[in-house]
Amino acid sequence: MKKTKKQYARYGYLFSIPFVVSFLTFNLYPLLYTVVISFTDLKGVAATEFHFLPNLFQNYIDAFNNPSFVTSLKNTVFIWGINFIPQIVLALSLAVWFTNKRMKIKGVGIFKVLFYMPNIITAASIAILFSAFFEAPIGPMNDLLMRLGLSSKTVYFFRDALTSQGIVAFIQFWMWYGVTMIVLIAGINGISPTIFEAAAIDGANGIQTFFMVTFPSLRPILLYTLVTSFVGGMQMFDIPRLLVQRSGPDNATLTTSVYIYNQAFSGSYMFNRAAAASMILFFIIAVCSAILFYIMRDQDAAALKKIQKARAKNEKQARRSGA
Amino acid sequence: MKKKTRNTMALLLTLVMAMSMMAGCGSKKADNNAGGSGPKKTINLWSYTDEVPNMVNRYLELHPEFGEKYEIKTTVIATTEGAYQPALDQAILGGKTDAPDIYAAEAAFVLKYTQGDMASYAMPYSELGIDVDAKIEEAQIAPYTVDIGKRGEDVVGLGFQATGGAVIYRRSLAKEVWGTDDPTEVAAQIGPGWEKFMSAAEEMKAKGYAMVSGGGDLWQVIRNTGEQPWIVDDKLTIDPARDRFMDLHKILYDNGYMNDTTAWSDAWFADMSGTGEREVFCFLGPAWLINYVMASNAGETAGDWAVAVPPEGFFWGGTWLLANKDGNPEVRDGVAELIEWITLDSSDDGLQYSWANGTLFEDNSTKDAVGSGTVMERSNGEIEFLGGQNMFEIFIEAGEYANGKILTQYDETMNQYFIDQSTEYATGSKTKEKAIKDFKQMVSDNLGIAIE
Repeated sequence: MKKTKKQYARYGYLFSIPFVVSFLTFNLYPLLYTVVISFTDLKGVAATEFHFLPNLFQNYIDAFNNPSFVTSLKNTVFIWGINFIPQIVLALSLAVWFTNKRMKIKGVGIFKVLFYMPNIITAASIAILFSAFFEAPIGPMNDLLMRLGLSSKTVYFFRDALTSQGIVAFIQFWMWYGVTMIVLIAGINGISPTIFEAAAIDGANGIQTFFMVTFPSLRPILLYTLVTSFVGGMQMFDIPRLLVQRSGPDNATLTTSVYIYNQAFSGSYMFNRAAAASMILFFIIAVCSAILFYIMRDQDAAALKKIQKARAKNEKQARRSGA
Repeated sequence: MKKKTRNTMALLLTLVMAMSMMAGCGSKKADNNAGGSGPKKTINLWSYTDEVPNMVNRYLELHPEFGEKYEIKTTVIATTEGAYQPALDQAILGGKTDAPDIYAAEAAFVLKYTQGDMASYAMPYSELGIDVDAKIEEAQIAPYTVDIGKRGEDVVGLGFQATGGAVIYRRSLAKEVWGTDDPTEVAAQIGPGWEKFMSAAEEMKAKGYAMVSGGGDLWQVIRNTGEQPWIVDDKLTIDPARDRFMDLHKILYDNGYMNDTTAWSDAWFADMSGTGEREVFCFLGPAWLINYVMASNAGETAGDWAVAVPPEGFFWGGTWLLANKDGNPEVRDGVAELIEWITLDSSDDGLQYSWANGTLFEDNSTKDAVGSGTVMERSNGEIEFLGGQNMFEIFIEAGEYANGKILTQYDETMNQYFIDQSTEYATGSKTKEKAIKDFKQMVSDNLGIAIE
């Protein structure tokens, strides 16, 4: 019996070979390569040889001394922020409505599909769609504003920094609130119905139920949403890259990923600097995610764990002193 | 026993899976060998549109004996979002049997392949066995295309098209304002020089017309008219001509001489049919702009256009053909034959003659300006869109005045940054000093080029 088990385990390794090989060649190797070249002078389209820099961190120092890089970090956080706050509010409201047993909303399935839809369309198509929408001087949005009498002059949307950022943020919001909503619905459905029943019996109204029951129970899911959205938001690339040519008025929609792309592929092929900027972005995401996890951790559970640990320690000591 | 068979099967399947995954990289080669019937040799051709591949296919139809010796394997990758260049670079660097033998490069990035980072991979035409200098002389190839295609003294790339630009103007508007639509007289009204152009714009404005569609139209002309490239001695340099463009851009904006559109936007296309904000007097561009862009967008204004010599010579776009020095040596003769036929053959059997006269394909393709001046002189450039005007009379001259000497491989990015900042200045959101300062900062940040 024991023998056959061992054999099967061996097959398990065999079956995982394709994944492991492709992971090592297409994920891990480029990753390590990026780390290495971020300390080198690798530059130029056909360059393959590189040398480590006398000051290993020169590319990192250069990045922080590069005003465009600093702007790009600020932009990324700002655009992510103004997309995430409305997104989580709307997604949470919709999720609560759709799971509310008392309201009995009809056609929830259809709404779920409709709200999810923008996420299915490729980002490239959406970017082209929206850039056509906001085209100037002739474009649907300008036409609409004129007809409604809201504007008497052509509006050049992509010449204004805040408007450009707003449009990018809106697209991100519109593409992702459906996904967030589905995740939150799943989260709410995962809360034990007995808690809701108890709340109902205690006479809690809708708002009380939300803040006292749904919200606290949803905490892990909200944390998950926050972290994934943050990680995705920091890496925002396709929409800002494709929507506005170049990087918007005065770098307004230059996100960090677009900056990295520009370093590597806009003419000078500074792969070393691009790699350094990627590493910085990676550290920012890692550190911020860790902080988020720490702040949003389940404090009760953490406290309980501490008590248990302390008790175990005490018992151990007691046993030791007893012996 | 049974169990053992099953185990063996599982093991085999796993191995097959693993093998197939690794084999994925090499499968292309197998296809190649299977495709070649007999002793035919393969010429690898890389391009970003099907234009050059179609020409080569036509050559195979016209010269069956060439087809017996060679077969053509084409790889077409669109330039959209810069996908073509990285793929081409990898193919050239990777070398070996699948390396491109002939590759096409567009004006926006050709410098990288003829004089920039990838130039060392281009093979001089003379080493292909083409008597290039004599042929250029004989065909009267537009000088700017030769300048762009030269690596030092060696010609490594040439095109088939001439993309020297002209003023493409509305006859009816010219008649209304100046009482004539004759190209020579119109050219005298709007040039030479930009002062005259702007005073003509004032006259147009008085009648309720816009002189040009957008500031970018003017930039197409001015970007290459100066004497210094963007980079001199590894340092950013702003040529006075480019600096002056900012002022002209502001004049256009402040005085309402344009509809303030962006090239390739709906509004720009609308201006071609006279359905934009105001009717537009002229566009500035080469023959391809007429044939491939304006013709399909002009609507009812077709036939009401004409071409005249621009206030300053310029070129816009174009395709250059290069041969890879690391390409398959066995197909070198075939490569030379194709390249010569496309870029340098000025006889009636050459590509350019049929291209100029629109007779390359049986379905009467469009007439286009070609690199060879002698071909254009012999050809009939009358097209209905221009009210029957022979456009070659203008485009031969346009090709001679275009300047191909001040390009760098950074131009595409630099030009984008510059026109962006110029727009900021023209529309009044910045002073000129600030706009130029920001432009320099962008160049320094993104390209790592020294700014004084």
